[in-house]
Amino acid sequence: MQLILNILVSFSLLLIVSLSFQQLYQVVKFFHIAHAVIITFGAYFTYLFLVRFSWYLGIAIPLATVCAVIISVLIELLIYKPLRKQNTSSWKMLIASLGLYVILQNLISLIWGDDTKSIRTWPVKVGHNILGAYITDVQIITITASITLFIGVLLFLHYTLLGKQIRAVSSNAELSNIFGISSDRVILWSFIIGSALAAIAGILIALDTDMTPTMGFHVLLYAVVAMIIGGVGSYKGLIGGALLLATAQHLAAYYIDSKWMDATAFIILIVFLVWKPLGFSGKRLKKVEI
Amino acid sequence: MEYVLHLLIFISIYILLSQSLSLTAGYSGLISLAHVGFYGIGAYTAAILSVNLGIPFLLTLVLSMLLSGLMAIIVSAISLRTVDDYFIIITLGIQVAIFSVMNNWQRVTKGPLGIPGIPAIKILGFSFESKISFLLLSLFFVGIVWFILNNITRSPFGRVLIALSEDEIFTKSLGKDVYKAKVISFTISAMLASIAGVLYAHYISYIDPTSFTIHESIFILSIVIIGGMRNLWKIALAAAFLVILPEALRFVGMPNTIAANMRQIIYGAILVIVIFRKRDTFTMKSQAIKE
Repeated sequence: MQLILNILVSFSLLLIVSLSFQQLYQVVKFFHIAHAVIITFGAYFTYLFLVRFSWYLGIAIPLATVCAVIISVLIELLIYKPLRKQNTSSWKMLIASLGLYVILQNLISLIWGDDTKSIRTWPVKVGHNILGAYITDVQIITITASITLFIGVLLFLHYTLLGKQIRAVSSNAELSNIFGISSDRVILWSFIIGSALAAIAGILIALDTDMTPTMGFHVLLYAVVAMIIGGVGSYKGLIGGALLLATAQHLAAYYIDSKWMDATAFIILIVFLVWKPLGFSGKRLKKVEI
Repeated sequence: MEYVLHLLIFISIYILLSQSLSLTAGYSGLISLAHVGFYGIGAYTAAILSVNLGIPFLLTLVLSMLLSGLMAIIVSAISLRTVDDYFIIITLGIQVAIFSVMNNWQRVTKGPLGIPGIPAIKILGFSFESKISFLLLSLFFVGIVWFILNNITRSPFGRVLIALSEDEIFTKSLGKDVYKAKVISFTISAMLASIAGVLYAHYISYIDPTSFTIHESIFILSIVIIGGMRNLWKIALAAAFLVILPEALRFVGMPNTIAANMRQIIYGAILVIVIFRKRDTFTMKSQAIKE
């Protein structure tokens, strides 16, 4: 039972992160690795406001989210947009984004130090007992928040004008430009939404397991794995991918050792690439099949 | 003087690494972030074999090249089922997985504690203990690898690699086995990287997993990108430049804790700048297919 709860918690974290990443990936069409640092920034800004300035939780979290979003908007406006105007191919965008990740992650290390930080200002409580398993308040919040956000984003994408525009640009940017949808504006909004989700995920992770400057990277890698397993572009696949990954990791942690969780994620990815390269459902990874 | 020699040895190790990466990243257009993984496999094989079993240098060199070649065949056969960005992400994942094996398989690699006391290289009774002799040895290997790469890239096989990096489908239509060519080039490059690993392990005489992280991979990739992907001379110069540059920080009087972060920030910034400026000079992927 404890195992199932643990799986549920990391499934919901994985779900938000991979949702935020896929949301961006569909629109910009390259792997935005620097997204990892937005997750970390969310957590560290909360630390700054909550622990250093000792503001209220209710102010610190929204403000930290806003700050992280501002950083990603700056990245988009200063780096990605000019690069896109030069028609840079996607792998070069990936490399640039990798460079950005290195810069920003080290910046965080310089400012806040490399040691583990905690944003818990309240005493640690014993979790609630549900059918013999323990679950903390934070974990309950995580699960409900992520499911709400997931449904919220899906509704947003399907029933609002902006959401429909985002979907239009992600399916065909050129055609949407012809129909008068500014893809730059849509990409900017995608960055705002995706980064807000990522920052919230970062805060939730930090509340649950504390934080280090490199925390975002592993989370993002898992999210990318979940996205590829699920088949890029499919929201149902995302749920399946995140669930499968979380289950496999926790089973590995339970039966073998928790230090092999990294390796498990990639073994699953490899298994999928060998037997089911298109994910549960979704698009082709190859340029052409001959 | 010792310090200069030390820097030169490091430069030659990085020349080995970056030139071997150039074969996959530059010539066949497969940007691999798992290169340091193979470097690490080389270093760990050399360390474990020479410390635990006392196997002489030349034999460990051959064994570690074989092992990392074998790993590379397995890894590339799987990861080459994907292309472009997906390939980069998969190699990133493989790098993380190799690191996690080094860090966690404690019975063999001793985990984060690392392996101390790796003996100096001995060939035919001559021990390469002094820095100058080690430098000559590593320059010798740089020369060999340079020669090999120069020949490979000018051979018919090298031309197949260039062709497939420019237009994969067209190369396929000429009857070339693109998949096999990619796997072979990936494997050769991994084997050459493991030479650097063996040299590194014997030189430093102590290795731990932190030398083989993803950041190191990004560092080597940035050397290759700055060097213009395919130009072996320029890559060697870029390696020298990027190894020396952070050392300048030390002379400015920056404390060590900050210098480590600053070093990474510098090459991260260089990567971004190069992508901005050099967009025309190293267009390798044909845009026509994607559009």
